[in-house]
Amino acid sequence: MIEVKDITKKFGRKQVLKGVSFSANKGEITCLIGINGVGKTTILNAIMALTPINKGQILIDGEKIKKESFDKLTFIPDAITVLPNMTIADSMQFMRDYYKSWNEQRATDLLQFFKLNPTDKIAQLSKGNTAKVNLLLGLALDVDYILMDEPFSGIDMFSREQIADVFTSHLIEDRGVIITTHEISDIEHLIDKVVLLDEGVVIKQFNTEEVREMEGKSVVDVMREVYQS
Amino acid sequence: MKSYLKLTSFELSRFFKLYLVLIAITIISQIIGVIVYSNSYLNEMNKVIYEEQMPKAEFLEVYGRSSLFNLTQTLWFLGPIALCIVALIFYVFFIWYRDWFGKNTFIYRLLMLPTARINVFFAKATSIFLMVLGLIALQIVLLFIENMIYQWMVPNEFRTDMVVSQVIQNFHILDIIIPTTITKLILYYAVGFMAVFVIFTGILLERSYRWKGIFLGIGYCAIAAAVFVLPIIIQELLQKNYLYLVELIIIEVILGLFVAACSIWLSSFLLKHRITV
Repeated sequence: MIEVKDITKKFGRKQVLKGVSFSANKGEITCLIGINGVGKTTILNAIMALTPINKGQILIDGEKIKKESFDKLTFIPDAITVLPNMTIADSMQFMRDYYKSWNEQRATDLLQFFKLNPTDKIAQLSKGNTAKVNLLLGLALDVDYILMDEPFSGIDMFSREQIADVFTSHLIEDRGVIITTHEISDIEHLIDKVVLLDEGVVIKQFNTEEVREMEGKSVVDVMREVYQS
Repeated sequence: MKSYLKLTSFELSRFFKLYLVLIAITIISQIIGVIVYSNSYLNEMNKVIYEEQMPKAEFLEVYGRSSLFNLTQTLWFLGPIALCIVALIFYVFFIWYRDWFGKNTFIYRLLMLPTARINVFFAKATSIFLMVLGLIALQIVLLFIENMIYQWMVPNEFRTDMVVSQVIQNFHILDIIIPTTITKLILYYAVGFMAVFVIFTGILLERSYRWKGIFLGIGYCAIAAAVFVLPIIIQELLQKNYLYLVELIIIEVILGLFVAACSIWLSSFLLKHRITV
């Protein structure tokens, strides 16, 4: 389980996170929702120790993040994290070289699933294909947790659908996913848990199944209620 | 260790094209330099001896014998060395900043590798060190080749033959770049390596604390430099000849190790706990 406990983060004088707490379990898709600048990316960066927090604690399966944790979790940021002069095959080789958790079979499956050409250069890919390569490099790791930052941001409808299909495929299996997005419609039916953020605080978190069954509301309904009030 | 070696090889490959350009410029410029220098000396000689009818002995008295040492004072020879030094100094900064400000944010990938983050620091430092050593090795080989070309071109009676080590020893700049004793080599390059560690730490301070980090980084570099040169300043200005040279070297070695260790510790701390992508 990933536990985020009462974390605060300031950038200069601006307090971006004000005591955010939530947890994400293995086998569940947890979605962080909020408008731009609300601190969603900062939370993911903090989980990956890519930005320091001022207060609070983040635990991965009960332990603070350390180098071994990177074989347990992967982060797929909204921008690609390999060099532009690499080909897709080069970037896969790079990952293979460094990560024990690299799963060759899954990488090949993803390559076919996204219909990508391994000899294409990263710099020459369309935005949609760049996002797919980014996903491929993250998802091909045999890890327990996947963090995704805005995977649908700025890409075309067909690519969005293809990426959304990943969530229902064997490629995710029973891994824990934390995803940030404001394009909720693409994956609304797939989410297990929602954490609504506003101005650096968690204003509501709920289990989507419970809300659907007990209150008859969709995620978007709850979002409307919360944000419009 | 495996990750460190792989990262070092990866860092070297990232600079490889530019490195080849530097090597090519150095080779071309210095070889052309030998030819131009030798030709201009020979032209002068022909003009004076054959056109103005000056006897050879008088010519040698007036113009002196040519030597490889004179060639090393020319822009053809020193220009590419200066270019390589500037390029590598620039690269000490660029090697970090390109990972933040490049087209793709590669720093994410580097910091998320399942290895100690200090390995990224060591890999970058090692690649710079290896690049420097590579250029030094090239320069030594080039000096031998240049000496041979020079001896082919200028007749025996008009030149003063020097072995490469004499050329280096006689020219202070070359003696720093290519030390002729093991002690000098270790001292000079240890100081260079320490300086790289200090600058890297300054860069990581800036990357961790941004605006405040600029001042912290500059401050750290200034303090590290001050700590390192303090005994030399005291010796030179206040207590002239208070210490024997060997004592001064021992103090400098200890201070150098201390500054390097502090830089590594601080960089490791910053990379683990303070760095911001």
